[in-house]
Amino acid sequence: MSLRIAPFLPELLRSLFNKPVTVKYPFEKEAVPKDFRGTVVFDPAKCIGCNICVNDCPAEAIEIIRVSETEKKFKMLLHNDRCIHCAQCVDSCPTKTYRMDGEFEIAVLDRHQLKIEYK
Amino acid sequence: MEFKVQLGPQHPALHEPISIRMTLDGEVIRDADLRLGYNHRGIEKLAESRTFIQNLYLTERICGICSFSHQTCYTQGVEKLMELVPAKRGLYIRTLVCELERVHSHLLWLGVAGQEAGFESFFMYTWRDREVVMDILDWISGNRVHYSMNTFGGVRRDIDEMQRKKILDTLGLLKQRTDYYLNLAASEPTFVGRLAGVGKLSRQQAIDLCAVGPTLRASGVPMDVRKDDPYAVYAEIPFEVATADSCDVLGRAVVRVKELIQSYNMIEFLLKNLPEGPFKVKAPRKVKPNEVYSRYEAPRGENVHYIKSNGSDKPERLKVRAPTLANYPATIAMLKNGFIADIPLIFAAIDPCICCAERLVQLEDARGGSSRVLSFSQLRAMANERAKNTDFTKREIAWPF
Repeated sequence: MSLRIAPFLPELLRSLFNKPVTVKYPFEKEAVPKDFRGTVVFDPAKCIGCNICVNDCPAEAIEIIRVSETEKKFKMLLHNDRCIHCAQCVDSCPTKTYRMDGEFEIAVLDRHQLKIEYK
Repeated sequence: MEFKVQLGPQHPALHEPISIRMTLDGEVIRDADLRLGYNHRGIEKLAESRTFIQNLYLTERICGICSFSHQTCYTQGVEKLMELVPAKRGLYIRTLVCELERVHSHLLWLGVAGQEAGFESFFMYTWRDREVVMDILDWISGNRVHYSMNTFGGVRRDIDEMQRKKILDTLGLLKQRTDYYLNLAASEPTFVGRLAGVGKLSRQQAIDLCAVGPTLRASGVPMDVRKDDPYAVYAEIPFEVATADSCDVLGRAVVRVKELIQSYNMIEFLLKNLPEGPFKVKAPRKVKPNEVYSRYEAPRGENVHYIKSNGSDKPERLKVRAPTLANYPATIAMLKNGFIADIPLIFAAIDPCICCAERLVQLEDARGGSSRVLSFSQLRAMANERAKNTDFTKREIAWPF
């Protein structure tokens, strides 16, 4: 192929009249995809306390705590500051206790505020 | 007159810490030496204390750009150890994500090459088009960078009819853009003039120095793990190994653009021939004692994982050889007799991922050359000792305005 003078110029000129492709993020928000891996959501009613999620979590972000001595009731403490949003807990749970929501704006200045308790 | 110059570990031309010691004759590099180990993270040691499932996400984090290649390499190795035959549909989806990742990695590289060559608008346009493939990956996996699609025995998410159609529709745009870049790379005189003849690596040198990936293929050696030792479903897909004979940075750019076009055809083939059935099979948690060697053609070249199991649910040893490490000897050969101004371009041409290749730190005396082994507490004591002598007077300097 032979060399031409300024073959990029038409593309550059065309772009002068196009709308910018950048989304102005905090003012405009794009919808997250259907299977987006956002924040972990836990349903205490379904938990049987098998601890598979605790053993499988690569970030050690999940704590399952037994609430009562007599009944099989559990609460979950999510360390969202450690969570890597891989959704392995959703896959591992035998009773489908976990799901991921579309929430991604979870940044705070203090990491201790990221602890979430589901009970 | 010859003189010695050290470039890095922190330098504006290099995106990650690496140090090059050069012997210069005027502006010409006569000899070069690389020093690594500034970004060591201890991933291999960490992997020994985690279960096979937890390591899926650890190996994914070896690299940010080719995250899926490390994860797939590891998954395939563990599947061999488990003697597990993955689900057919799962393998198709896995191969699809492999190729989508190759597309995004090569588009990223094209942009970086444009930037290093001083062609900033090319960088902007390729990165704009890269967003399209990033969005596709986001739709099917739920994340733009760490897809986490693999699991032992298949993949974690299925592709539905709507996603399949959407990807096929968007592929047309990517194809059209890549054709345009191929024409541009071959006809824009400033771009061609900057890349041609830089970083020469002859065919024999490339073979002798064990170069991998597009660096090797641009020297005219048609070697590709996908063809030579097919994994996943590559044996069933029609594709050609892209090569170039110019042995320079321009050749490496052409190989990558040709691979992009091959990848689009493969993605189309995979989506049109997606078999029905389950996308994963159940995998055991414990693995019999054995060892395995897994190969994978990452966008940057051949990626190798060695995994040893001891009968428990944790690996006894995980060894990672990232493609960048294999390309370092060839890079030194390319740097020799080149100009200082070509260093960023030659480095960018191997698509370096420096922290992926950091597997070992050796403490060496910069003057004497003797090496020693230190424990963590000794290292910490050394750091504290050094911090004592820090000059803190700068802290009190006030902002003058």
